[in-house]
Amino acid sequence: MRKKLLALVLSLVLAASLLAACQTKPAETEAPATTQENKETDAPETDAPETDAPETDAPETDAPETDAPTGGAGEIKVWVADNVVDFTKKAIEDFKAANPDYADWNYTVEAVGEGDAATNMITDVTAGADIYSFAQDQLSRLVIAGALEVMAPENEEAVKTENDAASVGAATLGDTLYAYPMTSDNGYFLYYDKSVVTDPSSLEKIVSDCEAGGKNFYFEINSGWYQTAFFFGAGAELTYDCDDSGNLVSCNSTYASDAGLVALKEMIELKASPAFQNGSSLSSATDVGAIVDGTWDSGAAKDLFGDNYACAKLPEFEGADGKTYQLGGFGGFKLLGVKPQEDEEKLAVCDALAAYLTSGDVQLARYKEVGWGPSNIAAQNSEEVKSDEALSALAEQLQFTIPQGQYPGDYWSLATSLGDSIISGELTTASSDEDLQKALQNFEDTCKSYVNQ
Amino acid sequence: MAKNTEKKTVSMKRRQRVGNFFSYLLLIVLSIIWLFPFFGIVMQSFRSYQTEFGGMVNYVIPKQFSLDNYKFLFSGETNFLKWYMNTLIIAAAVAVLQTIIIICTSYALSRMRFKGRNFLMRFWLILGMFPGFLTMICLYFLLKTIGLTQQGAIPGLILVSVASSGMGYYVCKGYMDTVPKALDEAARIDGASRARILFTMMLPMAKPIIIYTALVSFMAPWCDYIFASYIAFGHDSSYNVAVALYRWMKVNDYQGFFTRFCAGGVLVAIPVTALFMSLQKYYVEGVTGGAVKG
Amino acid sequence: MASGESGKKKKGTIKNIISVIGNEFRDIGTTLVRGDWKTKLSYLILGFGQIMRGKFLKGIAFLAVEAAFIVYMIKVGAAYLAKFGTLGTVETVKQGRKTVYGDNSFLILLFGLLTIVFIAFFILVWRMNIKDNAKDEAVLKAGKKLPTNGEDFKSLFDHNFDKTLLALPVLGIFVFTVLPILFMICVAFTNYDKNHQSPTNLFTWVGFENFKNLLSLGGSGFGTTFFSVLLWTLVWALFATFTTYFLGMAVAMLINKKGIRLKKLWRTILVLTIAVPQFVSLLYVSKLFANDGLINALLLRWGWIDKAIPFWTNPGLARVTIVVINIWIGIPYMMLIATGLLMNIPADLYESARIDGANGWQMFSHITLPYMLFVTGPYLLTQFTGNLNNFNVIYLLSGGGPQSMELAGNAGRTDLLITWLYKLTVNDTNYRMAAVIGIMVFIVTAIISLVVYNILPSVKDEEGFQ
Repeated sequence: MRKKLLALVLSLVLAASLLAACQTKPAETEAPATTQENKETDAPETDAPETDAPETDAPETDAPETDAPTGGAGEIKVWVADNVVDFTKKAIEDFKAANPDYADWNYTVEAVGEGDAATNMITDVTAGADIYSFAQDQLSRLVIAGALEVMAPENEEAVKTENDAASVGAATLGDTLYAYPMTSDNGYFLYYDKSVVTDPSSLEKIVSDCEAGGKNFYFEINSGWYQTAFFFGAGAELTYDCDDSGNLVSCNSTYASDAGLVALKEMIELKASPAFQNGSSLSSATDVGAIVDGTWDSGAAKDLFGDNYACAKLPEFEGADGKTYQLGGFGGFKLLGVKPQEDEEKLAVCDALAAYLTSGDVQLARYKEVGWGPSNIAAQNSEEVKSDEALSALAEQLQFTIPQGQYPGDYWSLATSLGDSIISGELTTASSDEDLQKALQNFEDTCKSYVNQ
Repeated sequence: MAKNTEKKTVSMKRRQRVGNFFSYLLLIVLSIIWLFPFFGIVMQSFRSYQTEFGGMVNYVIPKQFSLDNYKFLFSGETNFLKWYMNTLIIAAAVAVLQTIIIICTSYALSRMRFKGRNFLMRFWLILGMFPGFLTMICLYFLLKTIGLTQQGAIPGLILVSVASSGMGYYVCKGYMDTVPKALDEAARIDGASRARILFTMMLPMAKPIIIYTALVSFMAPWCDYIFASYIAFGHDSSYNVAVALYRWMKVNDYQGFFTRFCAGGVLVAIPVTALFMSLQKYYVEGVTGGAVKG
Repeated sequence: MASGESGKKKKGTIKNIISVIGNEFRDIGTTLVRGDWKTKLSYLILGFGQIMRGKFLKGIAFLAVEAAFIVYMIKVGAAYLAKFGTLGTVETVKQGRKTVYGDNSFLILLFGLLTIVFIAFFILVWRMNIKDNAKDEAVLKAGKKLPTNGEDFKSLFDHNFDKTLLALPVLGIFVFTVLPILFMICVAFTNYDKNHQSPTNLFTWVGFENFKNLLSLGGSGFGTTFFSVLLWTLVWALFATFTTYFLGMAVAMLINKKGIRLKKLWRTILVLTIAVPQFVSLLYVSKLFANDGLINALLLRWGWIDKAIPFWTNPGLARVTIVVINIWIGIPYMMLIATGLLMNIPADLYESARIDGANGWQMFSHITLPYMLFVTGPYLLTQFTGNLNNFNVIYLLSGGGPQSMELAGNAGRTDLLITWLYKLTVNDTNYRMAAVIGIMVFIVTAIISLVVYNILPSVKDEEGFQ
């Protein structure tokens, strides 16, 4: 009898656990089930997301106002480079003071620089920052990975009018504006030691001065970024066109041309000098006579060169064809991006904060704090910025550059390969024009092949 | 005859002396080569940012000695102390837990005969040949589902290194194999259980290998800059010291941090080296045994 | 173990496996037919028989497994498993400005896999449960007594101690090693890359496309690059292993030599490279050898060279430099090992050789070397496979560079398969190709290990040691 009772109890226990599991399903579903249910209800709507957009736009722009009394709460993560962490924290305090509705949110600022931010965002979007800064060449990569939200419509107009056109262009894919321009200083120019380099306007002179002084001349020719100084300077072209969602649609390249050949030969010739060093990081440079580098190193450059600190636009060089060319290259920008959010309230706060952190006043304050050149036109026209040595050198260089558009990630490694081929001596001054043309043709073909992927 | 041998020994002695001279010369040269980089690192760590910049230079002895870099590390300007503590916690926890796991596995594989034992040993051996980096992304999301990334990166790191440590049974099992089985048998006849044998007999006898295991486990986390940065990204205070120092060298935001990197490196090297040197005897026993047993 | 023999053996094992499986099924059937009602009900309710027969500890354990399994399947498993075939179909959409995430292919793959493994595990437990029931019944029929709960518990520390000891390690390895590896093997058959990233984009199964891409030569295929990197990986492993092996032995003999004093000091100095974390020492050494580094600067200053030596930028030289610096890292390990082993060689062997008029070299090549090779065979093998995957040395020293226009997928001239793999996963998020390369690395390592292992003279019968 006892045994039978036990049997009964046991089967009941099992049945109960079964039932319990089934019953809890709708109520406290875990991750997979919830998403699934959402999806099922969403399914009809997915067919017409575009038509939905304008309708939802209207109430959505009101959202901040209607929600004003509460403003919501939660956590907002911000990633910026290490040296502006403290500055950003201060700025967020000001933002909270100016927008009491948003003061309940818990803001955290972490030191994740422009270099790491994109990689980390792509590794795991959900664990990434809600607002993060990045260099604009990462834009399409971030959009494709779904790590970047479209600019809030209420901010679009202001961003477009207040920042310089090039920086706005850099934050745009197709016709869609994605990110908030923060700086217009991500270009490069020449830092040099006055006591070594006498004439910074000619590449040949710089090299010979450095050779004579037993100093090094740094130019990172194996970087797709610095390398374009030669190609664009000589008149070759390489740009990509993107659609709104970040996919490449076409590639315009004239690297395999006489202009490309001039550029390639100049790089090879530069490499042949004993004074040449490949690199653009002051931190790992020794015996620097001159270095092609950006504004982010201006502090370090001042410390390094001391009284002999000087900077200038990039020099001219005499090509193999006897003509004189001005080194060109990219003008670059730092942008602030907002991650797509599942919660509209939070998105509104993020948008407001990103807009604040890239507003003219904050950009100017940031310049004063760490020397980052603003993209905001009003800030650019302020006295302090205009009188900055490094920024003026950059501004001078900027007229010879093109704003850096979108390039596929593979381009950068391809360019490194081309540069390494020069540095490692696969391509030398002894190489025939045919070999060089072949390398350029190969380069151009590979660049174009990225479009179809 | 006697004279002859005497001559021989004299010439041999001389030859030996000449040979020894060259041996010493060689050893001194080797020592210089071996010590030079460490000497360089220590010297660089005394170069001040203020006077000589913090980047690379092409000389060894700083023109002016200063403790600036060390002051910087301890000043609280960065989270260096936190990173250091993190690493210490990870290293200590891993050393203890991993050793326990390895002892358990080794004892079971060395002393017990059960179904699937050979399969298990071969399977683990083969698993070890699969490149670990590949699984980083998967481990990251596994840890994330239980909340052990970013804020929880430190327990997460400990969990991952301890969880797969059973596969490192090799050296320890090899050592236990050399302990005569007759001892076990005698104890079993006396009525001791397997657990009792492990605790009262095997553990004391396996002391050198236990220390070796703990030492190796303790040293590994100090050099983990890849996986640790992968699961802690975007959360400065969960970095370990290797991740942070590595970032100073490789991330462009940190200009002129080279000498600070050196100072940090010295601080990392000191405890690890000291521990290693004091337990060197056991380490030798471990690697030698491991190499031969295979 | 000759190859022919092992071939026969393999055929035998396959037959064995089939017959074992057949037996299992027969056994399950007969137990069901012949068992009493308690056993029969245990087919549905695990642990039922055990509990009814008073073995609560075991019975409840079985029952708990079943309950947990059911709860998991209903709450998590079934949903993921249903989507496993497609890896998700629901796209991420925007509702207004809000983002509503669709299916997460990554999690579907991961948890789908986990669910499949759980099912397999459950079947195993179910089978154990039936066996246990049948055994208990037989014991009772024979008129013997079943072990009590206390005895069951005690056995976990005695003759079932292995289960207690191995439970945690096996579970840990399963979750954090086996599962991720299974996952990555699956990824090799999907299109998971930068354009198909969860949670925003879906990825799906693509069959053998990635393998084709790896082996396709020319064009944008990875074929040529793969073989070039593979070749260097093998060459590197060979050089790295044997240079440190012989030089380490030489240094050990040098220090062991009669008449050399301060033996301990010399060893301690060398051993420093083991003690100091590699990311500190190797990063510094890498800077030492840079074009603008200390070594070049010194040589230039002394006038020995008039142009910096391209230690890292010239492909050939970079490879040599890496092997040389690896000697710096590797000698101490071998020295420690050799020091102990050399002393084990009986001194009278040398004595008699000397009487026979052998010179130093002959003694080394006839006595020392054969002995060392014999004894350290397994060590050489592990060193070799270790070097195939020696990430730190390559990554910290050269970072795989210099790159070349002739290599695809970001690979450099000094990249090993493992560092290339790392670049592909972390920099390019090209997981699909990385997974394929990972599988290749595994195959190469496994084949080499198996072949070498089988020809090693010192692989003795394991039990022979005891």
